Amino acid sequence: MARYFGLDRIFTFLNTIKEAGGIRASLYKLYRMDNLRPGQLVGTDKYGNKYYQNPSYFYGRNRWIEYAPYYGMEYDGSQVPAEWYGWLHYKTDLTPDQDPSRPKYKWMLDHTENLSGTPGQYMPYSTTRPKIEPWIPGRK
Amino acid sequence: MLRSALVPCKEVISNQNILRNLSGSFGNVQLHKREQSTQPVPADRPYSPFQVSKNNLAEYAFARLDDLLNWGRKGSMWPLTFGLACCAVEMMHIAAPRYDMDRYGVVFRASPRQADVILVAGTVTNKMAPALRKVYDQMPEPRWVVSMGSCANGGGYYHYSYSVVRGCDRIIPVDIYVPGCPPTAEALLYGILQLQKKVKRMNTLQMWYRK
Repeated sequence: MARYFGLDRIFTFLNTIKEAGGIRASLYKLYRMDNLRPGQLVGTDKYGNKYYQNPSYFYGRNRWIEYAPYYGMEYDGSQVPAEWYGWLHYKTDLTPDQDPSRPKYKWMLDHTENLSGTPGQYMPYSTTRPKIEPWIPGRK
Repeated sequence: MLRSALVPCKEVISNQNILRNLSGSFGNVQLHKREQSTQPVPADRPYSPFQVSKNNLAEYAFARLDDLLNWGRKGSMWPLTFGLACCAVEMMHIAAPRYDMDRYGVVFRASPRQADVILVAGTVTNKMAPALRKVYDQMPEPRWVVSMGSCANGGGYYHYSYSVVRGCDRIIPVDIYVPGCPPTAEALLYGILQLQKKVKRMNTLQMWYRK
């Protein structure tokens, strides 16, 4: 009956706010990620990012990540570690803890985010003589 | 003095901000490695890259004004489409609903006089080079350049061709290089977000004040 009149949407809405942790928290979530949707927590990676899914959304929007709170507004796609990348991009349906076939070696490096624009950025350099002479305008 | 000789480096090591102090306006990324599963939560990343103390009120005010200016700039970056080859197709994709660049305030403009960013998408040939430079010169300051795809980055597949410029950075100064052949629309959008981060670090007013 409630479904017939569309009242279940109101319940879903209220439930979403409740899941987000209150009105204030849901407003912050809206501000932070422009989106507020109910979802089932699938897993958490070691950096504190949380992964959600809700199959009632269409394919392509039904899996999402909520970046760890300490990132604030400075979140970035490169903060998704490799273990979760495949799940988030529909390469696999298995989360890292469900998938036994993933290789794990001790020489595997820890995931780093994109460090461009920080002191840790990659700066290429050449040790050979340049092949071209740049044109510097204004030099006589 | 004796105390500092006895415990020489304790304070230096415990200073989490030493990197931030050294690196100036960059410093809102923690560089320490995160190895173990149970580690203290890293410090919150501030919105602003300018962490100025409130002791100097003028500098603090200019830092906040810069934040405001950069917020406005990064929220409405209008790119000039400079589609030259197949990369232009991917450039069209970020305007389409799936990647939808409009939500970041990125709207294509057809005139260089109204554009902030030029997206060089595709192979820059020798014949196109003067036109690219002219269009870039017509853009008002401040202006940014996103070089898209390996052809625009460094000639790419046509690096050894007789008629191709080996990278558009030989003609105009490039801010963001997006790799790929062609880059996905996702990659280009990520490049635009990186450019937004770069714009956020601009200290126009603070430099004006310091001068």
